[in-house]
Amino acid sequence: MAFVPIYILILGFTIIIDYLAGIYIEKAKDKRRRKLLLAASLVANIGILAFFKYFNFLNLNIDRFMGKFNYHDPIPYLTILLPIGLSFHTFQAMSYTIEVYRGNQKAERHLGIYSLYVMFYPQLVAGPIERPQNILPQMHTEHRFDYELMKSGLKMMLWGFFKKIVVADRLSIFVNSVFNNPELHNGTTIVIASIFFSVQIYCDFSGYTDIAIGCARTMGFDLMKNFERPYFATNIQDFWRRWHISLSTWFRDYLYIPLGGNRVSKQRQYLNLFIVFLISGIWHGANYTYIIWGILHGLYSVVYMIIKPYLRKEQQSKATATAIRIGNMALTCLFVTFAWIFFRANSVSDALTLIYNLRSFGAKPFFGDGISNFAHSILAIFLLFAVEYKMEYYPEKFNFFTSPNIALRWGSVAFTIILILLLGVFNGGQFIYFQF
Amino acid sequence: MIKTMSLAKFLIKPACFLVVLISLDYLVGTGLRKIYFSQQVGQFSQTTYAVDSARHDIMIYGSSRAVRHYSPSIISKITGLTCYDSGRDGLMIPYSTAMEEISLSRHTPKLIILDISPRELGIDQSKYDKLSILLPYCNKHPELIKYVQEISPFEPYKLLSQTYPFNSSVFILATNVLFAKTVKKDDNGYLPLEGQMTKPEVDDYSLRMNKRYLKIKKRKDIPEEKAIRYFKTFLENSTKRHVKTLVVISPTVLRNPFYLDNQAVEKELLVKLTQQYPNVTFLDYSSDPHFNFRPEKFSDVFHLNKQGAEEFSNSIAHYIKSKLVNKI
Repeated sequence: MAFVPIYILILGFTIIIDYLAGIYIEKAKDKRRRKLLLAASLVANIGILAFFKYFNFLNLNIDRFMGKFNYHDPIPYLTILLPIGLSFHTFQAMSYTIEVYRGNQKAERHLGIYSLYVMFYPQLVAGPIERPQNILPQMHTEHRFDYELMKSGLKMMLWGFFKKIVVADRLSIFVNSVFNNPELHNGTTIVIASIFFSVQIYCDFSGYTDIAIGCARTMGFDLMKNFERPYFATNIQDFWRRWHISLSTWFRDYLYIPLGGNRVSKQRQYLNLFIVFLISGIWHGANYTYIIWGILHGLYSVVYMIIKPYLRKEQQSKATATAIRIGNMALTCLFVTFAWIFFRANSVSDALTLIYNLRSFGAKPFFGDGISNFAHSILAIFLLFAVEYKMEYYPEKFNFFTSPNIALRWGSVAFTIILILLLGVFNGGQFIYFQF
Repeated sequence: MIKTMSLAKFLIKPACFLVVLISLDYLVGTGLRKIYFSQQVGQFSQTTYAVDSARHDIMIYGSSRAVRHYSPSIISKITGLTCYDSGRDGLMIPYSTAMEEISLSRHTPKLIILDISPRELGIDQSKYDKLSILLPYCNKHPELIKYVQEISPFEPYKLLSQTYPFNSSVFILATNVLFAKTVKKDDNGYLPLEGQMTKPEVDDYSLRMNKRYLKIKKRKDIPEEKAIRYFKTFLENSTKRHVKTLVVISPTVLRNPFYLDNQAVEKELLVKLTQQYPNVTFLDYSSDPHFNFRPEKFSDVFHLNKQGAEEFSNSIAHYIKSKLVNKI
C-alpha cells in the first residue's frame, strides 16, 4: 500500500461528475436526455474503474494473444497503482445516479454532503456499499453525541477487531503457507487450508464491516447490514442472502432486475443470474481466479434454481429436519469452500495444482511452524462458532455485552479485550477486501 | 428524542471501566507470568534458561534446525566442553542475534555455533513477527526491545499491558501445565524429534520441490538487507569478543536443496560473508551423502530425527575436537 496524494483527484472527478449528473438528470424533462446523462455518469465511473483495475490485465491478454503472431508489447503497460476501495466507492456513486434517474432519490444540491456520501470514511474502502436513500437523509440530520450509540458502536467495533485479529489474521498464517506453496502440500493440508480460508475471509471482511458499522454508529450513523452468518446458509441462494449483502443487493437492483429479473423465461433467468455472478467475479479483481470464482457461483446458483422445484417440501420430524438442515449447510459450505480455492489461489495454475493435490487426502498434514499456531487457529474458530451459533439460534439469550447486569456487561467486554491481547495476531495484516 | 447525560456520568463510567480492564489485565498477566517462568519443561523453560542463566563453553543458536539437530551431551562428551542449545522453533537470524547479544552481555563462551539456512537471509516478514517470543523477557532485559520493535514500532506501548507479552503462548502454557509429566525435558536445550520419514515421502518431496522450482526459477532472488545486517551483527559480536564461531548449514534430506528454493544467491552470500571474519568457519552439511536421501535419519523434510541428530552431533563434535579445541 502507498499513499499517492494525486489519487484524491480520482475521487474528486467522480464526485463532480456524479454530483452534476444527479442535478441535471433531475432537471431534465426529456427521457432521452435523462438516459444520456445517466449513461455519461455510468461510463465515467466504469471507465475509471476499468482503467485502473483492468487496463494492464486486458493489455496482458492482448499481449499474450498477439505474442502468438510474434508481435509483442503492442500497447505499453502503465505503471499505475489501484486506488484503495475504488470498486466500492464507484459502485456507491453509481447507485446514487441510478436512483436519481429512477426518481427514488432527490438529487443532492449540497456538494459537501454529496462528497461525504461518497467518501464517508468508515465505509469508504470496503463498504458496505450504501444506497443514497439510507445514508443521504442521515447526513442532513443533526447528530448529537449519544452515549448509548457510542457504547453500542464501540462494542460492535470490538467484535469486529476480535474477528479480524484473533480469527482472520491467525488463520492467515497457515493459509498463506499452504496457498503460497501449492506444490508442496498434500490433500489433507489443502482441505484444512481451504476450510481455514473460508473462515478467514469471512472474519476478515465481516470484521471490517463490523468495525465500519460500529464506527459510523458512534457518530450516530446507521449503515446497512452486510453479513448474516453466511456459513449457516442451507443453500447457495441463502448464502448470497447472507454474504456481502450490500453487493448482492446492488447487483440484484442494478443489474439482475434491469436484465429482466424473474419476469423473463426460465432460460433467460438462468442466463441473467450467470451474468450477474460473472460480473461479480470480474468486479473482485483483474485475475482469472476471480472470474472462475464468479463462474462457479453462477453455475451453483443456476443449478440450484433448476433443482429447487424438485426438492422435498413435505413435513418431517424435528430430528429429520435438523439432520437435513445440517446436511444442507455442510453441502453449501463444501461448494462455497471449493470456489474459495480459486479466489485465494495466486493464479489459476496454482488453484489447479491445489485441486490436483487433493487426491492425496488422508496423508499426514502439515502444521506449519508447530502445533501451537494450529491449535490457536482451532481455538479461534471454536470461539467464533460458539458466538455465531448463539446469534443464529438464540439471539435473545446470553447477550453479555448488553446485559442489564453491569458486572456481566463490563466483565464480558473486558474479557474480550483480554482475549484479543492474548490470542490475537498483531502483525498489521491488511484487510483482504482493501485490494478490491 | 436526543438523550443527554451529565458530564460526570460520561467521564466516570468509562474511567471505572478502564480500572476494571487494567485490573483484569494485571491479574491475567501476573498469573500468566507466574506460570510462564515456573515452566520446568518445554521450549519456554529452555528459552528462559538461555536468556537468564546459560554460561556454557559452547553456545548454539539458530532455528528449529538448531534445537532439533545438536545434542549438547554428545558434543560435551567428545569435546570435553560444556554446551547449551539456545535454538528455537520457527525463529531465524534476528532471534539468534538477539539471543547471542543477551548471553554475551553475561558471559563469553569459548565457541559459538550458529545453525543457519540460506532462507533466513531471504525476504520474509515472518522472521520478525516471530520475535514476539522475546516479549516476556523485555521487562527484565530492556535491550531486547529494539528487537521486538521489528514486529511493529508500537511494541513498547503494547508492553504496557501485562497480558500482551504472553500473546499466543496460551496453548503451550496450558499443555505444559496439564501434561507436564508427558512433556519431554530438554537435554541442555536440545529437543530431539521422533519418527522416521519413508523413501516414498522423500521422493514425493523431491518431486514437488522440482515441480515448484520450474515455477519459481524465473523469480529474481534478492536477499534481504536487514537480514544480512543481522547476520553481520551476529558475526561482529563474536569477533569483538574473539570467540571462535562455527556457521553451519546442518544436513538436509535433499542434496543442496537451496537452488530448488531459489536461494542460491543467499547461500553464496553466507559463504562470502563468513569468509570476511577470521574467527568464523563455515561448514555445509547440505550435500553430505551420509544424510541426503536417507529417510531413516529424518523426522520430516526439514528436520533430522534423534538418530540423525546424534550422528550429526557426533560428526560436528569430532570436527570441533580435531580442528578447534586447541585454538579456543
